[in-house]
Amino acid sequence: MAKVTLFPQACKGMEDCGICALVCPQHLFTSSGEMNEAGYVPTRLTEPEECTGCQSCMLSCPDMAIVVVKEKGEEAS
Amino acid sequence: MSLAEHPLRKYTRPHVKKTTTCPGCGNGIVAQAILWAIDELNREEGLSMDDFVFVSGIGCSAWIPSPLFAADTLHTTHGRPIAFATGVKLGLPRQKVLVASGDGDLAAIGGNHLIHAARRNIDLTVVMVNNGIYGMTGGQTAPTTPRGLNTITSPYGTMEPEFNVAAMVAAAGAPYVARWTTYHPRQLKRAIKKGIQKQGFSFIEAISQCPVQYGRVSKLGRATAILEHFRDHSLKLAKAREMSEEELAGKITVGEFCDRQAPELASQWSELRARLGKEQG
Repeated sequence: MAKVTLFPQACKGMEDCGICALVCPQHLFTSSGEMNEAGYVPTRLTEPEECTGCQSCMLSCPDMAIVVVKEKGEEAS
Repeated sequence: MSLAEHPLRKYTRPHVKKTTTCPGCGNGIVAQAILWAIDELNREEGLSMDDFVFVSGIGCSAWIPSPLFAADTLHTTHGRPIAFATGVKLGLPRQKVLVASGDGDLAAIGGNHLIHAARRNIDLTVVMVNNGIYGMTGGQTAPTTPRGLNTITSPYGTMEPEFNVAAMVAAAGAPYVARWTTYHPRQLKRAIKKGIQKQGFSFIEAISQCPVQYGRVSKLGRATAILEHFRDHSLKLAKAREMSEEELAGKITVGEFCDRQAPELASQWSELRARLGKEQG
């Protein structure tokens, strides 16, 4: 299991960027459909429980808008 | 558990809330690769942002350390970051000096500084973000632009072959040279970490996407299409060495060009200073 945190205000949008959707092996990213403060339409996770915790989206996000924390059977602090 | 902020935010300036780049730009991926490398070195060797001086020139990728990184940063004149960084390293030999700038800055306008810093083998880590075009100024032909590409200054296609910068720096004598693309963020992070740890001149070329200028003139368009191009056209160096020049046309060779030991300039200066100090009392 992995915990994904999105920062929608930092995201520059699925339409303009969309790198998270390209690199996710599970194809979990889609557009949220709602504009953020900067006017971009940020990304959204469709099925968070399907995330394998590979962290490709986190490392490939140019705007530090995604964090993936792997949970190894214990509560992360 | 939901995180209140990105774990790398502790390395960025608090007043800089967003990256300065266009949507989909590869500079953010390179910035993260540098910060993750520093984060690992922080946990393993206790290095902090105070141990670094970041130097950049002019261009979009020069905005990676300045204003984003919470450290000492020098945003210098066009093409000269390596010249400034050489001075910083010789003046402050204990600091880690990292240059982050673009291909137009380091390989074109500052090309000679790059060659001679590699030849002198001064302990710098140079991360060159190569997007194959002059992005900030509107999409003109750069020495790294692939042959045949129509840009605004070459409407009938560039006639010049592109500059193989990593191979040139390796030939000039740099002890560590690697090239990866922004489709390889893990390898990029490891190469940058290795470069920082390396005693001597290390050069990491990050082939990166410019969706706005390069995407337009190459007709690839979106950032994701350029990343797919990197994915499909990247070739490991070991495999590329067995192939002919014709077979390699249009390919991006990635990997470590060299990893060797060589006498380093700043430490030789320190030794000389100590020896002369002793001899002259």
